[in-house]
Amino acid sequence: MFTRKKFNSFCRKPARSKKPVCLPYRKTGSGKSSLLKVLYGDIKITQGEGSVAGYNLVKLKNKDVPFLRRKLGIVFQDFQLLGDRTVKDNLMFVLHATGWEEKGKMNDRINDVLNKVGLSTKGFKMPHELSGGEQQRLAIARALLNDPELILADEPSGNLDPETSNEIMNLFFELSKTSCSVIMATHNYSLIERYPSRIVKIDLGKVTEAN
Amino acid sequence: MAEEGSSLARKALRSSYISTVFSISLVLFLMGMLGMLLLNAKRISDYVKENLTITVMLKAEATDDDITSMTKNLEGNTFVRNVQYVDKDSAAKNLQAELGEDFVSFLGYNPLLPSLDVQLKAEYATEENIAELQKMLVQNSLVKETYYQQSLITSITKNIRNISLIILGFSALLFFIAGALINNTIRLALYSKRLLIKSMKLVGATRNFIRKPFLVKGILQGLYGAIIADLMLLILFYYAKKEVSELMFLEDLPSTGIVLASVIVLGIFISGFSTYFAVNKYLRQRTEDVY
Repeated sequence: MFTRKKFNSFCRKPARSKKPVCLPYRKTGSGKSSLLKVLYGDIKITQGEGSVAGYNLVKLKNKDVPFLRRKLGIVFQDFQLLGDRTVKDNLMFVLHATGWEEKGKMNDRINDVLNKVGLSTKGFKMPHELSGGEQQRLAIARALLNDPELILADEPSGNLDPETSNEIMNLFFELSKTSCSVIMATHNYSLIERYPSRIVKIDLGKVTEAN
Repeated sequence: MAEEGSSLARKALRSSYISTVFSISLVLFLMGMLGMLLLNAKRISDYVKENLTITVMLKAEATDDDITSMTKNLEGNTFVRNVQYVDKDSAAKNLQAELGEDFVSFLGYNPLLPSLDVQLKAEYATEENIAELQKMLVQNSLVKETYYQQSLITSITKNIRNISLIILGFSALLFFIAGALINNTIRLALYSKRLLIKSMKLVGATRNFIRKPFLVKGILQGLYGAIIADLMLLILFYYAKKEVSELMFLEDLPSTGIVLASVIVLGIFISGFSTYFAVNKYLRQRTEDVY
């Protein structure tokens, strides 16, 4: 595992700079996903300290985890969409779950984020009817619903072809300039070269600044 | 292709929902049947016990006043449910009807004695109580003798107790099986939803929010299963009554009502709790343990 102290100093920075951060890694099992899991409250910190979006990760209680996640947007390699309902209902679920009540505002918000990711015409489709790139965009739209302070992306382009990967990366880059910080984990060096940003390396469980 | 896939998935989902409801209803149906038997074993034995008659033969010299006061006295006894006075003439008529022969005119006089038919309350119809009652009666100078069918009461008490115990044992066993079976069915059905639950957790939904729709569905499942079980029970009762007219207890509305209502309560209870615990299991799990 990465050392806690280095990780902590690292995870305070991205909230300040709105530049995207890439976490490349060489081997599987280096701790990249674990790092992201710590950030969204799935793994507890046992020593050291850390905080995300105003939540102290050490003192984080189980009942606080959902509220921490509302401040983050999380995007996964395998999308994690709700496969039993339409695109619109996927987004509607999140809004319901996070305490939205007014129907009109909810619909506006959904149209808003779908526009942002270029899916405004696909609201009625089921997730499995979308292409991989579209599913990932839906996941990003979902992450954007509650105006997150930080987007965590765990290999968002891992399941996509190079061209679609570029689209997704452009989208993230755009977001990082306009609305929120983005932390993305990837092992795709060519992507990193094409989209210059602050890079942090995780190797053998250690976090090091690469540039 | 995609369309086909989705309709297939929906079909599979619906059939798993229906089979869950049906397994719940079958188990509840069995429970209801046993419950009906258990409730009525007591009624059958009570029926037999309350119709058990102790005949108290009185001496011929007993006057009407004697008999009235003795009847009153017996009716005040806690064991006694009913006392009926049978005078000489009606005793003769009864015997005549049984024998089919006019023995009074044959003999020239009526040799029978007046008697009291005493019936006991079911809960006191034990051998000890009857013996006590007999002892008390014999001490009375007007009483010639008392008798009842001893073997009947012994065998009924024993058999009914055995049968009730066996049914009770079966019911307890079946209750466990029912719980385990329904619990298992629901857990399997929810296992297919674990990834959905995981995704819901990741987007910041609270546990209560995720749990609620599952609970509502689980309770509805239990309710539908129970309603189907009740319908099957009603059909069974209807035909049982038609075929075997001696099953008069089926007309007893309170006990039928109790069984039908408890089937519904049980269905909702088991299904609701199983859903609650199964969902909680996936809610507590860390995301990587889901796979």
